[in-house]
Amino acid sequence: MKGDAVRGHLDALLLSVLEAGPLHGYAIITAVQERSGGALELRTGTLYPALNRLERLGLLRSDWRSAGERRRRCYELTDAGRRSLAEERTAWRRFTAAIGSVLDPGQGPAAAPGPAA
Amino acid sequence: MSSADPVERHVTALSAALHGPARAKNRMLAEVRDGLADAVADRAGDGTPAERERAAREAVREFGTVEEVAPSFQRELTIAQARHTARRVALAAPLLLLCRQLVTTVPGGRPLSAAEVTAAHLGGAAALAALLAAAALAVTGGLGRRLPLPRGLPFAVAWAGTAAAVTLGLGALTLATAAALTGHLALAAVLALLTVAGHTRIAAAARACRHCARLARPPEPRPLA
Repeated sequence: MKGDAVRGHLDALLLSVLEAGPLHGYAIITAVQERSGGALELRTGTLYPALNRLERLGLLRSDWRSAGERRRRCYELTDAGRRSLAEERTAWRRFTAAIGSVLDPGQGPAAAPGPAA
Repeated sequence: MSSADPVERHVTALSAALHGPARAKNRMLAEVRDGLADAVADRAGDGTPAERERAAREAVREFGTVEEVAPSFQRELTIAQARHTARRVALAAPLLLLCRQLVTTVPGGRPLSAAEVTAAHLGGAAALAALLAAAALAVTGGLGRRLPLPRGLPFAVAWAGTAAAVTLGLGALTLATAAALTGHLALAAVLALLTVAGHTRIAAAARACRHCARLARPPEPRPLA
């Protein structure tokens, strides 16, 4: 799965890999690759505008930091970014549960609240 | 790096395709250059020059062609330019108010009533432009998390900038003329200077915003949540 699989989920993926702490651009790309076992690859050309947009929206903040011998612009989550990530996670779990209950009908509806007996 | 370096060549080509505030553009390009340098180092490490060049070509290919990636970079730069223009537009009304205060607080310098009324009307127009600028700053900032970005916003900010530049120029010149007619030539000169400085800066930002808006037609990606 390459860029197409990531489309529509890029913001959530970026927020998620930054949850553990600040990372610079290339480290974000490798973090997504590693956490997905190599299944997801971010197109590097789409990364920087996306980071810029998330920072503009107040979900990330950035500053220049030393990374090895060089200085790199590192990004980290803001409080609004953490809240947004939590909302994205909740929405994703509901979505996968709904799809899963259709694809695997034997499993039954996942966590669907029923009427009181 | 020499111009033969694939990374530097690619960054130069991307730079030529992008337009926007210099600081925002330079920051983006610096990040792109750093990211590509990291990708080359990751692939080639301390390899031979030939290995490094091959790694650089691969990193550039993975990055995407200028035609593929420029639109998303330009969209962000256009928004950065709109925000830059909006900040300048927001200054027009206070600047006009300052000019009016200068005229009315100088002893004997109260402007002619017709000039005062004209300046007040133009000040109202500048205040409207400032309100639009403030709304643009909000919707391209924190509010953008909940609201989609209106497609025509950069154009609207650009035209608000032009309107603010014109009203600032006319308003301050009206007051400067009034000051000159009441014998305050030094005050008139100060007002004229403020007018030229304010008008030039706002008009330049508005022109740049219009240019960027033409380059970034595709819509804003769906906001989170």
